Amino acid sequence: MKQVIKGNIAVSHGVRLSRVKVISAYPITPQTSIVEDLSEMCATGRLDAQFIKVESEHSAMAAVVGSETAGVRSFTATSSQGLLLMHEMLHWAAGSRLPIVLTNVNRSVGPGWNIWADQTDSVSQRDTGWIQIYCESNQEVLDSVIMGYRLAEEVSLPVMVTYDAFFLSHTSEVVDIPEIEEVDAFLPAFEPRYRLDVNDPRMFGGMIGPDYFYEERFVMHKDSMEAVNVYPRICEAFEQAFGRQYDVCETYRTEDADLILVTAGTITSVSRIAVDDARKAGKKVGLMKIRMFRPVPLDRWRESLGNALRVVVVDRNISAGLGGVFASEVKSALFSLEKRPSVYSVIAGLGGRDVTPQDMSGIIEHVLAADGPGERPVFWGLKE
Amino acid sequence: MNIDERRKRARLYDFKTWRDFPPMNVSMGNMLHNRTGSWRFIRPVYEDKIPACQNSCPAGNDIEAWIKLVQRGEHEKAYWHLKREEPFPAILGRVCFRFCEGSCNRVQLDEGISIRELERFVGDLVPSSTPHPELHPFNGKSLCVVGSGPAGMSAAYFARILGFQVTVFERLPEFGGMLRVGIPAYRLRRDIVEQEFEGLRSMGIDLKPNTAVGKDISLGECLERFDYLFLAPGVHGSRKLGIPGEEENPNMMSGLNLLRAIALGEKVHLGEQVIVVGGGDTAIDAARSAVRLGSHVTVLYRRTEAEMPAHPDEIAEAREEGINFRFLAAPDRIETRGKNSVQKLVCCEMELGRPDESGRRRPVRKEGAAFDLEAETIVTAIGETAAFEPMARTLEETGGALEVDEELCVKSRQEGRGRVFAGGDIVDGPHTVVHAVAAGKRAAVAIDCHRKGVESSEVLKKISVGDGVGLSFSAYMGWQPLNPVPGNLKTVVRSEHIVYDYFQKAPRIRNSPLPAVQRKASFDPYVETFSEEQALGEAGRCMHCGRCTECDNCLVLCPDVSVLVKGQGEFGYVFDYNYCKGCSICFTECPRHAITMADEEIAV
Repeated sequence: MKQVIKGNIAVSHGVRLSRVKVISAYPITPQTSIVEDLSEMCATGRLDAQFIKVESEHSAMAAVVGSETAGVRSFTATSSQGLLLMHEMLHWAAGSRLPIVLTNVNRSVGPGWNIWADQTDSVSQRDTGWIQIYCESNQEVLDSVIMGYRLAEEVSLPVMVTYDAFFLSHTSEVVDIPEIEEVDAFLPAFEPRYRLDVNDPRMFGGMIGPDYFYEERFVMHKDSMEAVNVYPRICEAFEQAFGRQYDVCETYRTEDADLILVTAGTITSVSRIAVDDARKAGKKVGLMKIRMFRPVPLDRWRESLGNALRVVVVDRNISAGLGGVFASEVKSALFSLEKRPSVYSVIAGLGGRDVTPQDMSGIIEHVLAADGPGERPVFWGLKE
Repeated sequence: MNIDERRKRARLYDFKTWRDFPPMNVSMGNMLHNRTGSWRFIRPVYEDKIPACQNSCPAGNDIEAWIKLVQRGEHEKAYWHLKREEPFPAILGRVCFRFCEGSCNRVQLDEGISIRELERFVGDLVPSSTPHPELHPFNGKSLCVVGSGPAGMSAAYFARILGFQVTVFERLPEFGGMLRVGIPAYRLRRDIVEQEFEGLRSMGIDLKPNTAVGKDISLGECLERFDYLFLAPGVHGSRKLGIPGEEENPNMMSGLNLLRAIALGEKVHLGEQVIVVGGGDTAIDAARSAVRLGSHVTVLYRRTEAEMPAHPDEIAEAREEGINFRFLAAPDRIETRGKNSVQKLVCCEMELGRPDESGRRRPVRKEGAAFDLEAETIVTAIGETAAFEPMARTLEETGGALEVDEELCVKSRQEGRGRVFAGGDIVDGPHTVVHAVAAGKRAAVAIDCHRKGVESSEVLKKISVGDGVGLSFSAYMGWQPLNPVPGNLKTVVRSEHIVYDYFQKAPRIRNSPLPAVQRKASFDPYVETFSEEQALGEAGRCMHCGRCTECDNCLVLCPDVSVLVKGQGEFGYVFDYNYCKGCSICFTECPRHAITMADEEIAV
């Protein structure tokens, strides 16, 4: 059934349709309305789940680590400082191989205090072992939660679904909400490989010495890399069931493109307009949208970008002292190619500053006129 | 298990490659051998304690338990549980001044429980002549109770349960003392008192009316005929104003005389205007009774309302009934005028000076500030004095009160030493009904100790409840508490021990009294007893402080699965000390403080 809903409500529908049994979360702007909606669902019985109130995000993640260990599908949501407070438990969840799904509303990290869109919060969690999926629309958010559980439970790793503050969290769009029976057919009930059983108690997360820790991390890495292969199959099954197409990354008019923009999140939508405008003007410009950021779908990035002359990575995040995080990752992915495009790094839209189609067209013009990418990122729209 | 055995038992998991690894970090064997209980240095124990309400009840009434029974719909059980600590719930359920409610821990959440109304509900449910289920066979000793007021009745009741052959001598034709001739009928219906005496009679207590000890039978004869005496004659004399015009004045009477005359059905004519002098409960009872006889009443009190000893509820209701209060005023002299016998009361205005021994500020005359009041009748209620003839000399020596030791044994009598006990107003001075009940209970236990040759002071200490206001008769009898878990009679659960987050607010259930206009038209009671629905609702508000209710909080929150349900119909839980680490979460999260953390005895 189609409804006009905000991104946060799309999340709570995704959680309801996934028949999540335990939710633990701590409110933070702009995530709060997810938690409000879910707690109301639990209170009214629309969702048969235990809602555990906690005193911090660290506790929220600890609580779902517990419930997921007990073999129960669990969910949490957060944003910005909340995600950072979870950081220790994020490592724990991944190391414990628990298929938790978390939605993170991308918000800048203070200070200065700022509640608007910025992806620094989630990109700075890239080494926790969590799978990360970036979304562009409210429909994609809902679908990614459902697909997220299937992926997480197949590879035994937690999945973080992220989307931009306010541009999605608080903006209403038309979303097709599936029937729960259809979702049941797509997403089977969770069958954990091990579960905490009080009658046969095991130790979880115990000590491993130098003899074996290394191998355990290798197994985790291998299974994470496997997600790159598993996810396209899940997307295919999803398309068959619901008619909507997703992938580890998506391309737009890249076949013959000399210049390819690389974006993640809502900047993708405005970039499509800029690409169309450039094509109308006879410029061979394309777009690659990052969806899965961990694990990195190396081959797909190389396939999509390898034939271009210029690749322009637009980052709504910053790793101070180097530049855009996605740009670094793209550079490292392309480095092993014999013939590789020049990679331009652009920082744009930090702290929720609007990035318009005109901005994207300007960036394209700027790159086309440049002699080379240079070593430093371009700060687009900086007040100089 | 020693190291070698453990090594032998342990399977080695020799992972040759990463492919041998389990899919997650989990031990290959189960961990039951890891007795985490050995980490513990404090242990939780289930221990029921004394709720704040019970702690402040002079009778040590086990309120929480019988409310729990009401909640379960087991009203008759509730009645008999109540009767373990208190002889007449239908009476106390109406007139008790509710010391319990004042300290109810629920006050910090919303409003305290209507304990007295619940008691009245329970008290009215079972006919008082129903055979008492817990009487002991006669023990061969006899007890003579002098006075059938609440103290005497209470002593007779508890002594009879203990197996004494009890005889009660009452000076008046009616039984009940102050319950019958002091407390007005609108607060306590006559038939309620009569029914309770039926109950005592059906227990095998010999009740003798119209028998004044000292006149119809001498104290000496009592000592010859009975093994023990309990003196509870009460205080029925009234203090005089000591002002000119008071003596030989036919239009003056004491409050007690007025109440007694009304109670015994004598004709009383007060006239249109009545002045009541005094600020205690007798003054208010007299004033409200006079209103019911059709008079306009002014209460004259020499301090302010804040210092009045009368119960605030009574003052408020008196005011609703149109009674005037004239504070900071004292009578100086009375002048009788003409044939219509109108009295002129010349008064002096007062002001409050320095506090006296009672802590209240002393009223001081404001010189030159005189005023007059007129009335047909002046009622005095400025304090009661003892009037017990057989002990008159002793009473004079002690300023009107009988001196007793801690066990209520009369100190001043040489003859029959250790056999004469006393309690109630004659010992404490004018006090409340429940205090008299408490004295009767204490005396019965002390007398039984004497019979058995046991040191009663030790016993009384052992069975005292909480801070020591009341006594637990159940503890003396060895009766099992309602919850079959170990109990601690001394530890009081106060608001700081309650985890209020677990309780929802709910308004106190109350029956509103009839409007003043209606109620002052007769001596009928004006508040209904709770309906069953109301009683269940109000009982449901009880937080059961200090007593396990099997709420499952400890069970749910124990992180070590070390709280186990007893099951098979058995009450409560057990701790699995093999694995309990002593983390205290159960203790901290028990909403009602029914778990105690005890030091672990560490073997060195």
